[in-house]
Amino acid sequence: MSHHRLSRQLSAYLDGELTAEDEQEVREHLARCEACRDELRQLQAVRSLLRRLPEPQAPEDLWGAVRSRTVRALPRRRWPARAVLAVAAAAVVVLLALPAVRTRVDRLRAAGVGVDVFVREHALATAGEPFADRAYLGLLISDASAALAGVPREEERR
Amino acid sequence: MRALPVWSAVSAAVLTAALAAGAATRPALPSADQVLQAMLDAPGVVDYEGTKVMTVVRGHRAETVTVLEAYKRLGRLRLEFLSPEGVAGRLVVDDGAAAWQYEPSHHLVIQNPSFARPAVAPQAADVRRQSLVAVLGREEVIGRPAVVVVLEPRAGGPSRRYWVDEVTGVVLRTEERDAAGEVVFTSFFTRVGFGLNVPAALFRFTPPAGARIVPLYLSGDPMDSPQALAHLAGFPVAVPASLPFGYRFRTGTVTRRGPLVAATAVYTDGARTVTVFQAPAARFPLPPVGAPLPVGGRQGRVVEVGYFRVLLWQAGSTTAAVAGSLPDAALALVAEAVTP
Repeated sequence: MSHHRLSRQLSAYLDGELTAEDEQEVREHLARCEACRDELRQLQAVRSLLRRLPEPQAPEDLWGAVRSRTVRALPRRRWPARAVLAVAAAAVVVLLALPAVRTRVDRLRAAGVGVDVFVREHALATAGEPFADRAYLGLLISDASAALAGVPREEERR
Repeated sequence: MRALPVWSAVSAAVLTAALAAGAATRPALPSADQVLQAMLDAPGVVDYEGTKVMTVVRGHRAETVTVLEAYKRLGRLRLEFLSPEGVAGRLVVDDGAAAWQYEPSHHLVIQNPSFARPAVAPQAADVRRQSLVAVLGREEVIGRPAVVVVLEPRAGGPSRRYWVDEVTGVVLRTEERDAAGEVVFTSFFTRVGFGLNVPAALFRFTPPAGARIVPLYLSGDPMDSPQALAHLAGFPVAVPASLPFGYRFRTGTVTRRGPLVAATAVYTDGARTVTVFQAPAARFPLPPVGAPLPVGGRQGRVVEVGYFRVLLWQAGSTTAAVAGSLPDAALALVAEAVTP
């Protein structure tokens, strides 16, 4: 399995969405390939960013406070200031981190599809050459198109 | 004794008679111009259907691919791949408006743009300006008389030999050699039938019931000038009107696939094509693929595809790629010409 192909599989691998067979292939390739392990680590780091965000616990008296507002039967109680600050801080961190996460994932995806896009577009342009071999260009274009549509290449399935 | 016919002047009746006559006569060797012109005219004068075997070297591995190939004037194509296992069953039907690709193992239909390009109508003289052309002799291919012609690009790069059917001008066999003379690509018919009316039904495609259909049109509207492409890109790009080795700007477009947006410029020397891609480096890192190849002191990487190669590099805020059949050193020169 090639490096740029693997990056496309990594997301599904991390999310546990691959079949057992595909997952095993990814695992075996990672065991052999330092560059792909690096990419996996980078992607894991990006994804773990959100997981590391603080998860503030709701105050124990939250439900009481809500109910008091709802039924208006009890005197109004205020949330502890620290809880409010924690929730606000978490929201700010999420808002700041999201663009970075998205950019990183987009870059990985772009690198993954880039070569296939270039091969396909050039092969299509080459179809105008007078002595081009139609069958071979058809093979190149259909290989690249299949990859872009998410079909794993033969070497990736091995 | 007669020279290779100029097909633009041959009527359908004469062609039919020639097809029936087959190899009845053995004319003197035609000139290189006559062979080239017959090759250039062939797509407009004859249909065919046959079995083709291709062998291509990718890195250190050779692959053999068998395909049923049918062609109908002008530009309609049907390819049914028989082997190897990875592509067996794949069907590509180009009806002249779109190229439909069916992947049976995934029950998937991909709608590609038609492979038929707007006619650039090169002449034999255009080809001879870019390549040294020589007629090597005559050989039989699957029982048909063929003229053997070799094209050596003046700018370097792989040379190609063609076995050209004397009756139709269709290439029956192709052989490509790299700079060291090693054969890196072969393609030949093991069976072929010519005609003037291959059934049109072969070139119509109906998606199988329940198949998932993915339209895959990556290129936007074509731009006919470097300035228009630079304006359309929306990010800084270098689009010269010409490149080294006589390549001139032919068309441009903006290519989009998910997060990847690239300005794509296509150049031609009249016979061959070079494509230059440029994308913002912030959104497209250099993929960790291929072998190292320096580009003007920068680190580039070259990916061998078989029929051509792709050189990728980064300069400033741009990630760029150039694809073509030029040798590595020539690709690097082209790369420097589009590096700001």
